[in-house]
Amino acid sequence: MSILKRTQQWATFARTWHIYDCTWQNPFDSAKVVKNHLMGLHKPIYHPMNDCGDHVVLINTGEIALPGDEWIKRVYFHHTGYPGGASWTLAWQLHEKDPTMVMKKAVYAAMKGNLQRRHTMQRLHLFPDDKVPEEILGNVTSQIKQTRVVPKRLDHIDKETLENFPAIMDYPKDYVLR
Amino acid sequence: MVFTSAALFVRARGPDEFWRKRRVFKLAAHFHGRPRNVYTFAVRAVHRALVYATKGRKLKKLDMAELWKTRVSASAEQYGVSFDAFKNSLLKSNILLNKKMLADLAIWEPRSFEALAQLSRERAVVEGMPGIQERSVMNQVYGLKNLLKK
Repeated sequence: MSILKRTQQWATFARTWHIYDCTWQNPFDSAKVVKNHLMGLHKPIYHPMNDCGDHVVLINTGEIALPGDEWIKRVYFHHTGYPGGASWTLAWQLHEKDPTMVMKKAVYAAMKGNLQRRHTMQRLHLFPDDKVPEEILGNVTSQIKQTRVVPKRLDHIDKETLENFPAIMDYPKDYVLR
Repeated sequence: MVFTSAALFVRARGPDEFWRKRRVFKLAAHFHGRPRNVYTFAVRAVHRALVYATKGRKLKKLDMAELWKTRVSASAEQYGVSFDAFKNSLLKSNILLNKKMLADLAIWEPRSFEALAQLSRERAVVEGMPGIQERSVMNQVYGLKNLLKK
């Protein structure tokens, strides 16, 4: 094998590190995208027996947005194995305990249950905020596009921009704003 | 052999017992344990194996088609085209490559595949397919600027 071919081989099968910002993202939609990168489904050389999955770093998992009333309706089940060991945790409770857990479970559930799943999960790195250790951030070379646009919040827009924003009409002087 | 009745004709099966069994054992040579050595088990295992082989001939084709689809859609997504849009636009451009060839091109000739992806993108915009609006910069290079609707 020539040096060129050897380099090509290395480049083809090298693991890329992707970063994904979970701010205001639906974890279940995001999980489908993240799963593709973890399993290598985004590469033309994909094969179930080919170990071509990439690493994915998920940041800001504490800022995820569950759809509808999922925070109070979604329940995570756990059983210790002992009699009476069943427990049901609401999504918001789980999120308070560990801000990475909802996202992690979403990715885990998005993958088909086989022997490879737990090894694939080892390539997922979750962080509740944007504080990522240097040794992990140093590997990152690619960013995954977010599944939806992060809306701009009214209380995050500075006062000057708000005041200068063109208004359709002025409120009458005696109008009471609640 | 003389068969005095139909019942006797049915009973007389094949040649020698040894050779009849040998035919089954040859098919069971790679089995594990008793299905390999004991005729009663071997004949059942061989029967089951042949059923699997019959079903497998169909399944193998389906599996490969699924794999090619995964590969082609992965490659097309790199250029912002979904699999269906990609395949449809190629069809409209009268490029009749099948999934196997497209997958092979994606792996071994990424530049050729890129050209196809750009072409399909252009065609998708011209035909007004949903989801794709911008025409790529590459249309200058490949002379696709004047691509017309048929």
